[in-house]
Amino acid sequence: MKPLRSVLALLVAASCSSTSFAADVVKIAITGPFSGGSAPMGISMRDGAKLAISQINQRGGILVGGKKMKIEVIERDDEGKNDRGALVAQEISSMNDVSAVIGTVNTGVAIMGDRNYVQKGLVKIITPAAGSASMTQWSKAGTADIPIFRFAAHDGIQSQMVVEQAIRIGARKVAIFHDDTNYGVSGRDDLLSRIREQGGRVNVVDIEKFAIGDKDMTGQLIKAKIAGAQAILIWGIGPELAAVASGKKKLGYNVPMIGGWTLSMSNFIDTAGPAGNGAMMPQTFIEDLSISRAKPFILAYRQAYRVNRIPSPVSAAQGYDAAMLLAEAIHEAGSVEPSRIKVALENLTGVVRGAIADWKKPWAKWSPANEESHEAFRRSYTVMGKVQDGKVVLANPSDRAVLERGTGK
Amino acid sequence: MSPEMLAYAQMAVSGGLMGLAYALVAYGFQLTYAAGKAVNFGQGELVMLGAFVGLTLTGTGLPYWASIAGATVAGAGLGLFVERAAVRLALRQHNEGWILLTIITGLFAVSAAENIWGREDKPYPTPWEDASIDLYGISVTWPELAIAGGALGVMLLIELAKRFTLTGIAVQAESADTDAAELCGIRSDAVTSLSWAVSGAAAAFAGTIIAPVTTVGPTMAAALTLKAFSVAVVAGLDSAIGLVLTGLFLGSAENLAGFILGSGWRETPGLVLLIMALAMRPQGIFGKKIIRKV
Repeated sequence: MKPLRSVLALLVAASCSSTSFAADVVKIAITGPFSGGSAPMGISMRDGAKLAISQINQRGGILVGGKKMKIEVIERDDEGKNDRGALVAQEISSMNDVSAVIGTVNTGVAIMGDRNYVQKGLVKIITPAAGSASMTQWSKAGTADIPIFRFAAHDGIQSQMVVEQAIRIGARKVAIFHDDTNYGVSGRDDLLSRIREQGGRVNVVDIEKFAIGDKDMTGQLIKAKIAGAQAILIWGIGPELAAVASGKKKLGYNVPMIGGWTLSMSNFIDTAGPAGNGAMMPQTFIEDLSISRAKPFILAYRQAYRVNRIPSPVSAAQGYDAAMLLAEAIHEAGSVEPSRIKVALENLTGVVRGAIADWKKPWAKWSPANEESHEAFRRSYTVMGKVQDGKVVLANPSDRAVLERGTGK
Repeated sequence: MSPEMLAYAQMAVSGGLMGLAYALVAYGFQLTYAAGKAVNFGQGELVMLGAFVGLTLTGTGLPYWASIAGATVAGAGLGLFVERAAVRLALRQHNEGWILLTIITGLFAVSAAENIWGREDKPYPTPWEDASIDLYGISVTWPELAIAGGALGVMLLIELAKRFTLTGIAVQAESADTDAAELCGIRSDAVTSLSWAVSGAAAAFAGTIIAPVTTVGPTMAAALTLKAFSVAVVAGLDSAIGLVLTGLFLGSAENLAGFILGSGWRETPGLVLLIMALAMRPQGIFGKKIIRKV
């Protein structure tokens, strides 16, 4: 009887200690496509966020209400698939001890999954991507309050920059290429409305669609060529973008590709090879060691994950900054309660020094009339990048100042 | 030629070259069907595995040619494995279990590839010149020409072997009448195994020549199996020339449909052809009608 009793005592002690331990950690879920065509973005975001979290944990954790709490990460791969994303969101929102979620690349995944977080009131920071539709869905529905925040250059900014860049390089006739996903279609619509705003300075001579998995884009390119397009404005993801680049090369159709920031994905740059040179895209971060703000982050990332090049530098930097901002909000909230973290994110008082900028109150109280209230990025600190020999460099050298100064709001 | 006509010609030529890849995969169906009246519904997955093996060998520093040879040998082994694991028993018992079993081995192959090589599409490096050739305004790339040359070359080689070597003649005998062939001293199991090995080798070889155009990924062959199957059914399961012509036609038709009607319509010609062939000429356009005397 005696040994049994002591075992029982041990068990009781162990369960007590584990509950008290659980109270000392903040649980954060990181979700995204860690496999499949969008994986470079998902993996870089996850690793960037985990880098921030490991730095915070090394300092003892987040100071919450006078007590240091370490961060514990829960990872889920949504594979970039809408239905899988919905399942992941259901699973995480059914866990009762998760404080916040960071993640999502694919627009469809956010649209399918985020309603679970909204119902539960669970804080989510959408990064590194997920087109603007992932936020506008809430303003369109007139939802009075949401715990969803976005930390990515929204497609509105991106399409505006793409159109401006086309004008800057002197293209008057352009073709729009897009994939048939939510991302591609909403990108096309954004581009068209931005082009209308330019009032005839640019004309769309051709609109072409392609599907995920298409390898042969010659048909679409020939039509654009016949229509006389001087630039291709494109919205898609890595593998198909690469197919367009190699098709262009095959046909000897040397016009620039300007598109969403997916053109900086490693699976575009590597698959397209030399054919990808000159492709231009908006960037919030450039992996360039000569930019002093970016340097410490780049070095830390490369060292932590033993790589010579970050698969998707923008995603990594955004993942890092988003985790830093979230940690600051948990500290300011003085609580691991999602509802209080949400209020803290809307009213951040501290300045967070990130890899992209010094963030000063990036978000405001949600207003359904203005989805920018939960958008962190503005046009003024996004720059144009350009693919050159396997990496992304600044397309317009004068933009260097933007990245150096980089005060977010 | 007007730019529009040139565009149509370009689409037809690009499609036709790719169609030869369908023909080569379909040829694999024909080979195994001749010996044993079964086909591998996981043929596309053998194409994919061949491409991955080739890519891995290139990665170890082997030259392009050696990696193709290595992949082809591996493909032969995989073909043998499929025959042993999924087909032989079902054929002996005269049931159609091989249909499901070959599909299952294909699914296994996809899972294995995802676990070994990951789910990303990877580029396949080639020693070809990185420029396109201009033929009267139609651009053709070296990898596309390699598909055409490789597919036609391999099919020609196997056809010659079938006609002019003793083993080849044994395979033909087996295909014509299994019982009579066995009475002549031909081991029908060995002939069937050989056909599956050659079929697997052809599939893996197809993988290494297609991959430079399509990139390599676990799902690269999902559509390919279906298209090759259409080609095999439409052409019939007897004639290699028939496969080549049907492949060329289907490839061009697909590309032109995508070009004229919009990219969403690309897959229609193959399916329409398949339905029409099944309804109107089940033995295939180039197939011989087999009259069974009862």
